[in-house]
Amino acid sequence: MNTWPGPENSWEGVGAYFTWAGSSGMLVLISLVCAAICLGVIIAAAKHESETSDNIK
Amino acid sequence: MTIDQLANFVLGQQKVSAEAYYWWCTGLMIIIHVGFLMYEVGATRMKNAVSSGVKNLLAFAFMIPTFWLFGWWIYWAFPGGFVPIFDAGLDIPGYGLPWNEFSGPFIGDNETGVFWAAFTLFACTTASIFSGAVIERIRISAFVFLATILGSVVWILGAAWGWHAGGWLVTNWGFHDVAAAGCVHTIAGLFAFGVLLNLGPRIGKYNDDGTANEIEGHSLVLSFVGLLTLIVGFFGFLGGCLIWPGVAVYDTASMVGVEGWTNIYGAPMTLSSFVFNTLMGLAGGMIGAFWYSKGNPFWMMSGGLAGIFICAGGLDIWYPGFAFILGVVAGIVIIPANNWLHNTFKIDDCVGAVSIHGVCGILGMLAVGLFASGYPAVGDIPASNLMGQIVGIITMALVGFVPGYVISLVMKMAGWLRVPDSVQEAGIDKAELGLRAYSD
Repeated sequence: MNTWPGPENSWEGVGAYFTWAGSSGMLVLISLVCAAICLGVIIAAAKHESETSDNIK
Repeated sequence: MTIDQLANFVLGQQKVSAEAYYWWCTGLMIIIHVGFLMYEVGATRMKNAVSSGVKNLLAFAFMIPTFWLFGWWIYWAFPGGFVPIFDAGLDIPGYGLPWNEFSGPFIGDNETGVFWAAFTLFACTTASIFSGAVIERIRISAFVFLATILGSVVWILGAAWGWHAGGWLVTNWGFHDVAAAGCVHTIAGLFAFGVLLNLGPRIGKYNDDGTANEIEGHSLVLSFVGLLTLIVGFFGFLGGCLIWPGVAVYDTASMVGVEGWTNIYGAPMTLSSFVFNTLMGLAGGMIGAFWYSKGNPFWMMSGGLAGIFICAGGLDIWYPGFAFILGVVAGIVIIPANNWLHNTFKIDDCVGAVSIHGVCGILGMLAVGLFASGYPAVGDIPASNLMGQIVGIITMALVGFVPGYVISLVMKMAGWLRVPDSVQEAGIDKAELGLRAYSD
């Protein structure tokens, strides 16, 4: 869904046309989710490493 | 066709040509990571071969979103130092932030995406440089975290200062480093050095009396094919260091930047100058290392890379014969420099990354000051000069070393840096990933 400026009927005068381009709150939220995924996976990997090293001991 | 239509046609061709050029540079740069992966896996013992490769793949995967989230913004917001300027990027407020309208599909902006992609791959290269130094005993999660700090924060801060037409090292000191000897190679090499001091060597590297043992990788052939592959990818990297004609107009009177290529500081140059000096430096490095190492293929190929990196600072202006001589110097210097670092600091730099990238990056910046002072820049940027290069060397070395050392020290104190000895002995592949690189 192209919300802003929205090439719904025409490409005339279109700038940013990506999804949720008109909703800065949504863009910030998605960006934060991306950051959380990256950080979460690093933390999960660190936990897995600690568990496996305990098993090796 | 009217004059206006013709002008629009030419402008359209210019935009899509530039876009396509950086698109393919980015694709070619991915080959750097194929090369690094083969090189490092080959330099690893068989019991850790998979985890070394996984580490390379993860550095690549994590760099892309994190560079989109904050790396690209750092480049545009910090050319003046440590205080961000929010409308520094192309005079657009918030340019580079992930929620900025230019950080996604935008009709009329053919450049942001491909430039972001090229810079992301430069960032991945810094992580891969660091990666080889720490194989076989760094925790994968710790490596990913440190690689993200290096690739999406540290090197790009150095680039904002010294590899940006508005960077303070450039505008105040006339710092000249067209192909990133400082912000990529020196910073990555010195960051790796800082981490190595805290990480410690692999089990069995040093004896109780301080003497070192050679820990051989499981495939020398894989390593030097990887190194040659890496050099192919560097043509994408170096190509991405140029500015396509018309992308940036630095001086409307002289039309510099419109009628031909410019370097990243806006001075006129040619792609031919890069290829002259890249190939001559590469050959010099291989020959120098071949002679000094008495035919060791690992050092010969590393020497080739070092030959390119020592020429990188002035890759646009060297006389090709001198680039060859610089390459020979690099090929010779990396071996005693690597030995000295190991003997003095008792580090275990498995692939010589500190020497090849850190030392040769510094020598490359110094060479510009010693042999290429006085080259004019555009606008108010001072001409290249020795003092500017020395300030650049000190800055890049500190920007690389200090975060690498301090952050890894904190991680070491928290017990989140080094693989336990028991896991090292069992092999990381089997212990953590539950698989082996080669079946029986």
